[in-house]
Amino acid sequence: MRLIATDLVKVFPGVRALDGVTIDLRPGTVHALLGENGAGKSTLIKILTGVHKPDGGTLRLVPDGWQAPGDAAGGAGGRELHFGGPADAQLAGIGVVHQERNLVPAFSVAENIALQRMPRSRGLVDRAAVRRLAQGCLAELEVELDLDRPVAELSVAQMQLVEVAKALATDSRLLLLDEPTSALTSEESDHLYAVVRRLRDQGRIVVLVSHKLEEVFAVADTVTVLRDGRSVARGLALGNLTRSQVVDLMVGRAHADIELGARSVDPRATPALELEAVSTAGGHRDVSLVVRPGEILGLYGLVGAGRSELARAVLGLDTITSGRLLVGGRPVTIGSVGQALREHRIGYVTENRKEEGIFLEQTVSRNVTVTVWDRLARWGVVRDRSEDTVLARYVDRLGIRLSGPRQLAGQLSGGNQQKLSLAKWLAADCAVLIIDEPTVGIDVRTKAAFHELIAELAEGGLAILLISSDLPEVVTLADRIAVMRDHQLVGEVDNDHHYTTMSGRVIRLVHGESQESGAAEAGASETGAPETGTLETGAPRPGVPAA
Amino acid sequence: MTLPSLVETAAGPSGPRVRASLRGTEVVLAGLALAAFVVLAVTTGGNLVEPATLRAVFQFLAVPMVIGLSQMVVLAVGQMNLSVGVLTGLTAVAAAALMADRGWPAWLAVLAALVLGLVVGLANGLLVVLTRINGFIITLATMTIISGVRYGINGTGTYQGYSDGLVSLGRASVLGIPTVFLAAVVVAVLVWLFFARAVRGRQLLASGGNPLAARLSGISNDTSLVIAHALSGLLAGVAGVLVLALSGSVNASIGDDLLLPSFAAPIIGGVALAGGVVSVLGTCLAAFIVRLVDVAQAQYNINPRWVDLVVGAVVLGAVLLSQKRIGRGGT
Repeated sequence: MRLIATDLVKVFPGVRALDGVTIDLRPGTVHALLGENGAGKSTLIKILTGVHKPDGGTLRLVPDGWQAPGDAAGGAGGRELHFGGPADAQLAGIGVVHQERNLVPAFSVAENIALQRMPRSRGLVDRAAVRRLAQGCLAELEVELDLDRPVAELSVAQMQLVEVAKALATDSRLLLLDEPTSALTSEESDHLYAVVRRLRDQGRIVVLVSHKLEEVFAVADTVTVLRDGRSVARGLALGNLTRSQVVDLMVGRAHADIELGARSVDPRATPALELEAVSTAGGHRDVSLVVRPGEILGLYGLVGAGRSELARAVLGLDTITSGRLLVGGRPVTIGSVGQALREHRIGYVTENRKEEGIFLEQTVSRNVTVTVWDRLARWGVVRDRSEDTVLARYVDRLGIRLSGPRQLAGQLSGGNQQKLSLAKWLAADCAVLIIDEPTVGIDVRTKAAFHELIAELAEGGLAILLISSDLPEVVTLADRIAVMRDHQLVGEVDNDHHYTTMSGRVIRLVHGESQESGAAEAGASETGAPETGTLETGAPRPGVPAA
Repeated sequence: MTLPSLVETAAGPSGPRVRASLRGTEVVLAGLALAAFVVLAVTTGGNLVEPATLRAVFQFLAVPMVIGLSQMVVLAVGQMNLSVGVLTGLTAVAAAALMADRGWPAWLAVLAALVLGLVVGLANGLLVVLTRINGFIITLATMTIISGVRYGINGTGTYQGYSDGLVSLGRASVLGIPTVFLAAVVVAVLVWLFFARAVRGRQLLASGGNPLAARLSGISNDTSLVIAHALSGLLAGVAGVLVLALSGSVNASIGDDLLLPSFAAPIIGGVALAGGVVSVLGTCLAAFIVRLVDVAQAQYNINPRWVDLVVGAVVLGAVLLSQKRIGRGGT
């Protein structure tokens, strides 16, 4: 079979996650899907697997051997698909191996593989048939595993293979592998690649979603690149592309340059926060960074690179195993957020406001004053009115919309909740703020305002460590950009606020691509465009994303 | 600089209304209590409003109220305390033994009962924090232990005449209001003030409502847990003292029948089992309604089994209602 998605559009409140994505998945190929954070990969996967319904565009399934008359590309043929849910996608032969493991640890290998279509006889599970089914799937992969072993006892790599076998058990003709090797050693990865090639040679479609360019070039035949919700390269043959060209496709050159970072930072000022060769129990090794008063240090990296975890280690939520942490030039040890706040004036604006930042059943006032109750209290008692006074300072400044100070935080919109979790830390009067993904899930207008506010805070002398997966955001705000990969810093660049050059340099760091931009900048991606497939160079799109 | 205000200002249809509905619960409970009281008064031919009956109604409301609050403070942090009932019994028997066997003065024995409650509660809290074992299991264990210890003091024997002064104070009235009930009201007001005004009270609610956010806002959840359990133990001690002052005779079986009422009052009163939301007024009103069920049983000579059935059904109904409420709230 062949799966063709045409002009897919998916709109979430405030965001066009997909804005015209076309992807043509042919049998017997390994098709790589590339794109930076937020380019729309996850959304596309969710549409292909029936989790989301597209707001526009079509999904068509072309049976094997079908040729549309007069259209060799199969443009008009096939059956249109409308998935009501993931089960429909599965019936259509689309299987997915997610990043998160979806196995039942206590069940055996055989039971996990057969889980979605347990063979039954007379209402009971037919154990022999389960084993036969599982054995068949593993044989197709040419993988040997003990069928009766509980999955909990397997290695991560073996679990991954069980997941693949599980997808085969439902007769998947198309397999989506989402970052399949992120937790595997290189040997284990090689083994998986062999399995992937085998699947391809059986005539299946394998879609490989990966951040690792070396992996993509090693295994995939064709590539589709997403950028800002659009497919900027569709089904290009990887054999005709260089890595640099692929990076250029991912980066684009469409972003307006925004000037919010013109601050004068005294490079000789004592750093407000300094990490000296810090290693953590969470796996960071020799991370060194410096944030000075009045400066924004952007910490960029792919999701899972260990940036939030680094912040947590600084705050004592994770153990620092070696290295030094200095606050205002003095070495310190921090054991809790409370200690960071009270003794060192370090605040942490969390990424996940609903789970980590907000008390839904508490009043708006209390949500903002939670960090300063100790200071507001006399004899351990806080008056509601003194809390309202604190809140009032931020309502206008942040434009928080509420019906009154005693309104419950859970009744506010997401954007206003985000403002509350920021207000909470502004109220705490910190010298250092670690701000984690401040604008995820926020509409464009509020996002721009948040950016202005963060810049203003830095101008006011605050030292800010800005953790963000939103590259335009980092380039807009940061004075310097540190890049983290696999729990290590792989480089740091001074930000010149020109999106095109900065993003190229940063993304090369992220992907371990040492070649500086400039050579590829001359337009290699256009002139060197391979003949197969279509290449769409990003026309400048004004107002993306924060202007 | 001002951030632009979002257009969707008012609560969306999915906005939780926990607090609003909590007030609703309190109003409904107050109405229900009043209605039940009036119906009961009328159908018993005014018997209920006789001074003696009325006094008994409120005298025996004191312990359920305090025991309900004792459970409520641990529910506030998302925990449960199964040992409140037996701890009430233990503190009562221990204080009686100190007075009767050791000749301690009543005030000192009362103080000892409160300290004992506090210490056992503290032990519960420390065990929960240090072992990281679920509070349900910890207090199930301590409940069983305390249950046995109670009998270690004086076997199945009953203490009587331990302190005439204390008992006459416990049975006295001020302006027609029983002193034990007044004491319970004072305790309720203090608990209310604790949650409404004290930093610690707020921290307890924050830890219960969203432990992760609390931790990331600089609050120690461990401290919250220990304080909640200690306070719960102290309130159980208060309940023990009230039993001591009111009944005039105590034995080791006291407290066996207090576990269900300790949960019934806060749950019917609208306290979230998951933590983070408390209602002192709701808990007290619910205890009153449960008390009225008891009174009705006595007045109409209903089989006592029916009381348990009714209370159990009301608890179930209250939980279902609150789930529906939260479900609609979308939290």
